[in-house]
Amino acid sequence: MELNNSKIKIKAKNLNVYYGAKQALFDINLDINQKEVTALIGPSGCGKSTFIRCINRMNDVIDICKVEGSIQLDGSEINEKKVDVVTLREKVGMVFQKPNPFPKSIYDNIAYGPTIHGVAENKDQMDEIVETSLKKAALWDEVKDRLNEPGTSLSGGQQQRLCIARALSVSPEVILMDEPCSALDPIATAKIEELIDDLKKSYTIVIVTHSMAQAVRVSQKTGFFHLGKIIEVDSTEKIFKNPDNKMTQDYITGRFG
Amino acid sequence: MSGTGHTVKSYEEEMQSLNDNLVMMGSLTESQMADAMSAVIKVDKESVDKIVKSDGKINELRSIIDNQITTVLVKRAPMAVDLRITISTMKISHDLERIGDLAKSVAKKVKPLPVDLPDELTASLRRLGDLVQKQLKDVLDAYLNKSKDKAIEIWRKDEQVDDLTNLAMNEVATYLQKDKKNLEMATHLLFVTKNIERAGDHITNIAESLYYLIEGEYLEGARPKGKPVESE
Ligand SMILES: Nc1ncnc2c1ncn2[C@@H]1O[C@H](COP(=O)(O)OP(=O)(O)O)[C@@H](O)[C@H]1O
Ligand SMILES: [Mg+2]
Repeated sequence: MELNNSKIKIKAKNLNVYYGAKQALFDINLDINQKEVTALIGPSGCGKSTFIRCINRMNDVIDICKVEGSIQLDGSEINEKKVDVVTLREKVGMVFQKPNPFPKSIYDNIAYGPTIHGVAENKDQMDEIVETSLKKAALWDEVKDRLNEPGTSLSGGQQQRLCIARALSVSPEVILMDEPCSALDPIATAKIEELIDDLKKSYTIVIVTHSMAQAVRVSQKTGFFHLGKIIEVDSTEKIFKNPDNKMTQDYITGRFG
Repeated sequence: MSGTGHTVKSYEEEMQSLNDNLVMMGSLTESQMADAMSAVIKVDKESVDKIVKSDGKINELRSIIDNQITTVLVKRAPMAVDLRITISTMKISHDLERIGDLAKSVAKKVKPLPVDLPDELTASLRRLGDLVQKQLKDVLDAYLNKSKDKAIEIWRKDEQVDDLTNLAMNEVATYLQKDKKNLEMATHLLFVTKNIERAGDHITNIAESLYYLIEGEYLEGARPKGKPVESE
């Protein structure tokens, strides 16, 4: 698997993150390739969520959280004060572990982002955005006749695809997914995985997952985190067939601790 | 391969049992090969039935291993070194089974041989048999010790097996030319020689699987003499 000839979309350099006095990430260096899926694996509490929250500055909302070091998106620094966080989060969308649709209609769930970002000029344009977003999230056929029903009336898997559609509605470049399938059954999981495979043609995706098999199925590159450090990053194939680091091997083969 | 065991104890036990069965299969195949060679050299027709019968045990172990592997794949979705162990064990067990089959075919050829087999005819065959048995013992030891260097050494040594095979075949051919009445005996001996050579090829396969298990990469370069093992 070729890692070298891909364009780097996100570059983390010497990233250190603290929650108060406690350091959660230590000198993280990680390149994330454009239009590829990068999986982050590692035991609970190793800092995976903290890391992906750095990519769209979600840690800003946590008072005690301090981020040091550099994260570049397309070569420009995102950790500077002057960076407009709203624009950043438009470019870097996020999907969480538990599907969290707004208590609004399916339609309004999707229209929410474009409305606050002022993307659509009229109702027709908004209808268009809602339809394409739902189509890209492979949900359109299932909901096109019930757009006014509440988002929460959908099944778990559909809710998660609704959240993905919501993230897509503002035309992001990067999608961060934090254990997006851990609340879903195998069939809903398979649908999300298929969707991820499709989305990577147009978007850069970073996914945190506890399922090794899922990492193998969806990603091209995998990073293994342990106690706030990156232990090994390589092509997914290499990591799961023949990792260089003993700790990586022990973790993925279930020999940990 | 890995110092610490699996957190899930039953997984650890399943992998251990897989290993034990493969080792057992290896040792049965080793005696099977030794018995077959000795039967040929001594033209010991008495032992043939016993050899044919014990091949059943090797086959049985192979199907046990096949089942165990299917279970491990479904239950554990093994990764990294576990994946390599699982895949290699499957391949090695199949090669061992084939070696067992070839030993059986060798033994079966003893029945039609004349009891007074001339020594000049079996000199190279004897050396070939010794070499292949040594290769088999070495590859099984290398498996136990997970020795990459040994695996490479055994893999390279297959060239000597090929050379000795040619020598042994020439000896038989020369003998045949002396008197056409030797035709039937010569044919049997050529069969025996060829089967031993094939067993050597399967040993080379095992060395390759072992190397992959240890290194996670395939042995680079052409096989010695670049001949694939034909499955028949
Ligand atoms: N909001 C927070 N306040 C304080 N500590 C936190 C907070 N979020 C995470 N942490 C700590 O940071 C470390 C990394 O957590 P996290 O990034 O959630 O790990 P992961 O996603 O790999 O499970 C943990 O020790 C966790 O307790
Ligand atoms: Mg997390």
